[in-house]
Amino acid sequence: MVGQTPHDLLATPTHDEFALQSYVSTLRMHILNDIGSGLRGVYDNRVKPSFESEKGRAPKDEHEVRRAMMKDDYCRTWSSMMRSCQEMIWDSITPSIERAQPTLNARAAKLAEDPKGSLTLDPTLKTPPYVSAADIHLMPGNYHTERSDYDVSQGMLYDRGVYVYAAGNGGPLGDTIGRSLAEHLKIRFPDFKPERILDIGCTVGHNLLPFADVYPDSEIHAIDVSAPMARYTHGRAESLGKAIHVHQMNGEDMSFEDESFDLVMSVVTFHETSRTAMKRILEECQRVLKPGGLMIHMELPRTAGMDPFDAFYIDWDAYYNNEPFYQAFTSTDMKQAYVNVGFDAHKYMEVMTPDIHVVPREDFDAAARLNRQEAKRYGRMGEAIHWTGWGAWK
Amino acid sequence: MSDGIKITPVNRGKRPTFFDDPAIDQLMAIVMAMSAEMSVVYDRVDTIERLLDKKGTLSRDDIEAFRPDQDVEDERNVRRNEYIARLFRIIREERETLTPHDKMDEYNALMDELAQK
Repeated sequence: MVGQTPHDLLATPTHDEFALQSYVSTLRMHILNDIGSGLRGVYDNRVKPSFESEKGRAPKDEHEVRRAMMKDDYCRTWSSMMRSCQEMIWDSITPSIERAQPTLNARAAKLAEDPKGSLTLDPTLKTPPYVSAADIHLMPGNYHTERSDYDVSQGMLYDRGVYVYAAGNGGPLGDTIGRSLAEHLKIRFPDFKPERILDIGCTVGHNLLPFADVYPDSEIHAIDVSAPMARYTHGRAESLGKAIHVHQMNGEDMSFEDESFDLVMSVVTFHETSRTAMKRILEECQRVLKPGGLMIHMELPRTAGMDPFDAFYIDWDAYYNNEPFYQAFTSTDMKQAYVNVGFDAHKYMEVMTPDIHVVPREDFDAAARLNRQEAKRYGRMGEAIHWTGWGAWK
Repeated sequence: MSDGIKITPVNRGKRPTFFDDPAIDQLMAIVMAMSAEMSVVYDRVDTIERLLDKKGTLSRDDIEAFRPDQDVEDERNVRRNEYIARLFRIIREERETLTPHDKMDEYNALMDELAQK
């Protein structure tokens, strides 16, 4: 917990707030990995046999698994602890942000005065219903709430929240998915040198900034529907010395010209949008992508065809961690969704990469050349060993 | 902060309960919060001891300003994990009776891998 890379927009916790955040991180990893590792045994040895003796067959899908598991006391205890711990993450962070907010808002505004990149806000942009529908991951106020002028408090909350949530497993900059993706693409497609890159739903820019390192000659744009996130992403990037052009914009209706980007990407954005929005965003990706360009979306694993217990485990968040769009997404056929908006089925591609912060570099590079990595663990940053993405060339 | 902002949930929805009696969920939340408070106090004591070892005296400002480096934080994490293991021993014992050893081996190997990062 000591290792988050400092920048100008992080709130400073007191001694005891820091100690609390560190503990919550450690506690979460214990619940997720140590207690959570017992769930499979509970299912195999107790829940499944009992289901089979009652119904004469195994549970047929994740819903039956969930209904049976949620009657088991071990699973109830784990669930109750997971839920409480998620609430504790935010409780451990909010006081420092409430205190720092006026200072950090002013600092963010100052960082926008003489920028390397740029910031374009759109006060007329309407918050889409899938953002206003719920405090996703229980984060108080979700992505879009503004509490004063030039407010960046939701950005501060998310930036520190992800670090506490992941117990630092996302790397000092919380960028592990984006860095893994950028390095993977560079090795796998050495001739692909994107001049213009776009990130859809950038939140605070965690996963976008590595592209500035990996493709230093590119012009990098980011969009988010939330003004606090757009301001924060811009200020954070400036503070870290990266030129990023941030726009408050909805991916369903972008103001960029046709065929203006070589690489259009997102990282864990789609599972927080509706199916309708996802289709519109994909149509827009197709429109703004140059011929020969690449669209790639890093996301949660597909649950279709998955063992019902594993699917239950993945989709737990949909029910108990305010992820209302999660399940509709994890069951979507991505290739079909791309074909439906005009991508060529033969140009569909997938990314499966080990985590660049976890495996030795030579193993990472070898996996990128092969685009193959034995699937081991996934999800919630606790056991994340590999990351998955779905893409298409235009 | 009387004049500052207050960060509160906007749209969290109804809190799920997992046990038949919601009081058990409440109790679980209280136990978890108490466990955190105890850990915070332990860190504060640890800070005081380290400062006294080093300087022989201390002020409140010294305590507030103290931040663990990676070595101190690693030591504290060992202590926190042992503390959590003692606290939730009853749950671990149940897991051990239900999880076959080959799955535990796979899990332990993964933890070793993560610990070496």
